[in-house]
Parts: sequence; C-alpha cells; structure tokens
Amino acid sequence: MNAKKKFTSTWLLWPALFMLVAFFLIPTLDILRASVYDPEFTTKHFAKLLGSNVYLDVLWRTIRLSVIVALICAVIAYPISYFIVQRPRKQQIFFLFLVFIPLWMSVLIRSYAWMVVLGREGMINALLIGLGFTDEPVKMLFTTGAVYVAMVQILLPIQIVTCYSAMTEIDLDLMRAARILGAKPWQAIRRVFLPLSLDGTVTGAIIVFMLSMGFFITPALVGGRKDIMMANLIEFQVQQLNWGFAAAISIVLLIGTVLCVIIIKRLSKILIRRLVGGGHA
Amino acid sequence: MTKLLKQFAKVAVATLVVAGSANLALAADKEITFSGSGGVVGKVSKEVWWGPYTEATGTKINHVAAEAKRMPQLEAMVKSGNVLWDAMEVSASDYPLGVKKGLFEAIDYSLVDPDNQLPADTREEFGVAYAAYSQVLIVRTDKLPDGKKMESWADFWDVENFPGPRALRGRAEDNLEFALLADGVPAEDIYKVLSTEEGLDRAFAKLDEIKPHITTWWTSGAQSVQLLSDGEVYFCPSYNGRITTLVSSGIPAEIVWNGGAMHKSYIAIPKGTEHLKEATEYVKFRTTSADRMREYVTHLPYPGWAPGLFDGMDPKMAANMPTFPANQKVQFSASAEFWAENLDAIQERWTEWLLQ
Repeated sequence: MNAKKKFTSTWLLWPALFMLVAFFLIPTLDILRASVYDPEFTTKHFAKLLGSNVYLDVLWRTIRLSVIVALICAVIAYPISYFIVQRPRKQQIFFLFLVFIPLWMSVLIRSYAWMVVLGREGMINALLIGLGFTDEPVKMLFTTGAVYVAMVQILLPIQIVTCYSAMTEIDLDLMRAARILGAKPWQAIRRVFLPLSLDGTVTGAIIVFMLSMGFFITPALVGGRKDIMMANLIEFQVQQLNWGFAAAISIVLLIGTVLCVIIIKRLSKILIRRLVGGGHA
Repeated sequence: MTKLLKQFAKVAVATLVVAGSANLALAADKEITFSGSGGVVGKVSKEVWWGPYTEATGTKINHVAAEAKRMPQLEAMVKSGNVLWDAMEVSASDYPLGVKKGLFEAIDYSLVDPDNQLPADTREEFGVAYAAYSQVLIVRTDKLPDGKKMESWADFWDVENFPGPRALRGRAEDNLEFALLADGVPAEDIYKVLSTEEGLDRAFAKLDEIKPHITTWWTSGAQSVQLLSDGEVYFCPSYNGRITTLVSSGIPAEIVWNGGAMHKSYIAIPKGTEHLKEATEYVKFRTTSADRMREYVTHLPYPGWAPGLFDGMDPKMAANMPTFPANQKVQFSASAEFWAENLDAIQERWTEWLLQ
C-alpha cells in the first residue's frame, strides 16, 4: 500500500522532470561544453574573461543591483501581503487580481512607460515645473535610480504572490495563542508571525533576485551608461557569433547566481533563528 | 488474409499517388523564403518588390520578418543542414562575419549583372549591395540657439555654442569615427588613424570630452527617434530613414549629412538553399530594377545602385537620399572590414570606458 502510494506520487513528477532535463539541464550542459570546447578543449574564453576587469566588474554591478532590487521588493511586498491575508476571502481575490494586472503587460512596454513618466519632458517633471517646485527638469530618467524604480515595479507582483501564499499557510490562531500567553501585539508578530512568514519572503526574494540577474532590456532603456548587466554582454557576444565566449560569460553568471542564492539562504536561516530565540523584551 | 493484404496494397498505392501529385503541385508553384526586415520595410517591400517579382517570374515570396539575431539563426541553420531561408538581407557589419563563417553561397554575376552595370564596390563575392543607409546627426531645429546651425561633428562636440542634452549610440562603431572627425581628422584618413594605438587613444580622448554631456547611449533606432521626439535629447545621430518618422509627426528635425557614416546593406543567399536559381533571380531583380527602386524610395529613403536610379527622380526627394551625389560626397564610407577585424578588442575597451 505504502509502496504503491509512493510510486503514484513520483510518477506525477515525471513530466516536470522530463521538461527540466530536456529544456534546462541538457541546454545548460551544452552551454558549459560550448564554453570550454571551441572546437577543441580550451580555457581561452575563461582566461580572457578573468583576465579583464570589465566582466567581473559588470558581474559585481549585476549582483549588487539584483540584491538591492530583491531587498526593496521584499520590504514593499511584506506589508501588502500581510494586508491582503487579513482580508476576507472574496476581497483577497480582488486584491490579488489588482496585483496581477501589471503582469499582463510586456516588460518592454512597462519600461517604455517609465520613460514617459520619468523623462525630462515627462509627467513628473511637467508636474514639478507646473507647480513651481523647480524651473529646470530634474534628471530622473537614465539614472540607476530609474532602473531600481522600473525593475521593482516589474518584479513586485511576483514577490507579493510568493509572500502571500506563504502567509496563507500560517494559522492565525497561533498569534492569538501567543497573546493569551502574555505576548504584546508587537511581540506576537515578531516572535511568531515574522519567523513563520520569513521563509516565503526569502523564497520570493530569491526568485526576484534570480530574475533580476538576467535582466537587460530595462536597464538598457531607463538606466545610465554604467547600468550594464551581464545579460547585455552575453547578448552582444551572441550577436557577434562568439558562442564560446558568450557561453563562458553565461557560466560565470550562473555560478555567481547560484553562489548568491546559497548565501542568501544561509543568512536568512540565521536571521530566522535569531528572531525566534533571541531578543528577550 | 490475402484480401486484407490486397486492401492494404490499394491504400498504399493511393497514398503514394496522392503524395506524388502534391509534390508536382509544389513544383509548379515555386516559392522562396526571404528573411528581411519587418515593419514598414516589410510592408513596402511586399507591395514594391515581391508582388511584381511574382508577376514577372511566377515565383512566390514567403517573407520571414528578420529579428536582430538573424546571424546566430543562420549559423544554426547552415550547421544543422536545415536551411529555411533562400535569400536574406545582411547588414554591412554582418556580411564579413557571414563570409568568415562560410554561411553564404557565392553570387553568380553572369546571371545577376551580366553587363557589369553595378558599381564595382557593390559587387561582393558573396553578396550584392542593394541599399545604403547612413548614421547621420539629427538635429531638433527648434532647440537650436537663435540663428545658429549645427553643421558638423565639431559642432556636436561644441557644448558651449550648442547647449542641450545629446545622445549617442551605445556601440563603438561609427562613434570613434565621429570623434576623429570632430577632432579634425580628414574623412579619408579615419581608418588609417584608427588602426594605430595612438589613433584609438585619440578617439577615446575626444569621446572623454563629450561623455558628461551624453544623456543616454541608445541601443535601437526606435529608441533614438523616441529620445528626439520626447525632447529627451536635442542632438542625436540616428539612421537617415528615421527622420521621416520625426518630420511626419510634426517634430522640426533636420539631417546633417556632413560626416555621416554610410553603410551598405547586402542581399545574400544562405549556403545550402534548395532554390539557388530562384534566389539568384530575386537578387538580380532586387538590385538592378531601377523603376522598382525609384518607387521604393518614395516610401523609404534607402536607395540602392540600380543603373539609372536618379534619372527623372524628383530633385527634392533625391536630396534626401544617402547615395545622392551631394550627400554621398560629404559622408564617409563606414568600413565593415575594419570593424569585423577589430570589434572584439575595441568593444571591450568601449565597455570599460562606459563604466568609468
């Protein structure tokens, strides 16, 4: 009985596993192969990559930008998700619907929309000048700040949904129990709700982080000259048909991303443990 | 049992006959697949080139709108032996790349240009230049200081006499040439200077001067038009054809032909096509039909070198053509060879320079 049950449940995973192997694992291995065989075994691509400051500099910029975007998303999404979870069921669906609406528009269109909003002769500047706050247009577009604003707006729904679904798992009676046992409202949230919901927040932040690592259109459109991402460099090399070098950059980006995800997970575990155990008030 | 076998044989024969006649139908109804620009270019080409071509030869054209990544696609096709395109547009910078990788069929000039009428520099071994486009300085005339006129790259660099936000394309190509022109290098010496280490330093040093005044580094032609029309920048190089979009939407803008970078576009035949004869026929039609080309340029200012193209063309329109003698004279011919050879190394320095 038990064995049979086990069999059915693994069987359900097969299609997903097949997809992963066929469309993710094999292509990834092929990219790894392309980065070291061109056509004979060579380390020249990695030597070139590590021998120049440009690529590691851009990798560092990409990581920094992605971490900041993930952090901003996490901080903004948390109270929104908490708010939605506290609503009655029907209202929850309505609010989630509102969160989803921007996801139906392409990233490209949303990036162009930000150009209209933030530009020299754009909406915000027209308003500021019209109200007499400034005579000269404020430079907002083509700055790193504009990249943060646009990327957070684009990725926020993903963070909210992940965070929200983790919060719905939490039994709100636990907070009540904590209150009955003498915890103050703030303590109940910090020592009970926050640790339980942080896992979902971290999962969401990791998804946002990974998506950010691969961004290139938005930074290219609204960012300044220094907002170059690894994906921009890969795109350029692919256009030049330098498959091997493009593959090497991709591998470095992949390794960088995986390492960062491991570090984020570790840090979040330490943080959760601290929240539950430490800080007696 | 034998009955069953007989039945089976009948079905098999019927299938073969049907399949055979389908093949015959295909042979009578010839079709080539052409990979070319989408958008307005595709729409106009359908009307001006493909319709009349089918009328003249009976061969249909199946158009595939080309993406920016057509060279990687082409290489994947040729390598896998599954070539889906019979003819294609190739940009000046992609042409040497395709030749180096052996992705094109050699052009048979005894069929394409038997009387040797096309200019020699448009007849390449693996492709025929069919159109010219230029990256030229476009100026918002309403944003110019009173009574002043921007006339050169030196003026573009002169932020005191011509204040205002500017943009450049986010690639090294053309920009290094523009910088050298602004620094006083004569057009005919640009590539000689750029080929030396000192020349390269000189170009980057000149770019250092303008760097703080560049609002943004655009990545697509559409973006450059957007920047100019939103007033995000006042002075910005872009493709000559883009001026039409600006002017027709009521934006006062003007081309500075002086110092423009003229690029050639090629039409080429992917290696291993099954329709070499028809594809060659199309290459001839596209590059040498002067009347078609004259009509084409009434829609889009990307003329080619069809013999007799400017005969009887409206002089006002001719003045908008990059190959019009007066315009061609003040531009320089962008060297695809130089960039094919040096792009890798220069691009790295360029990215580093942008990040500084």
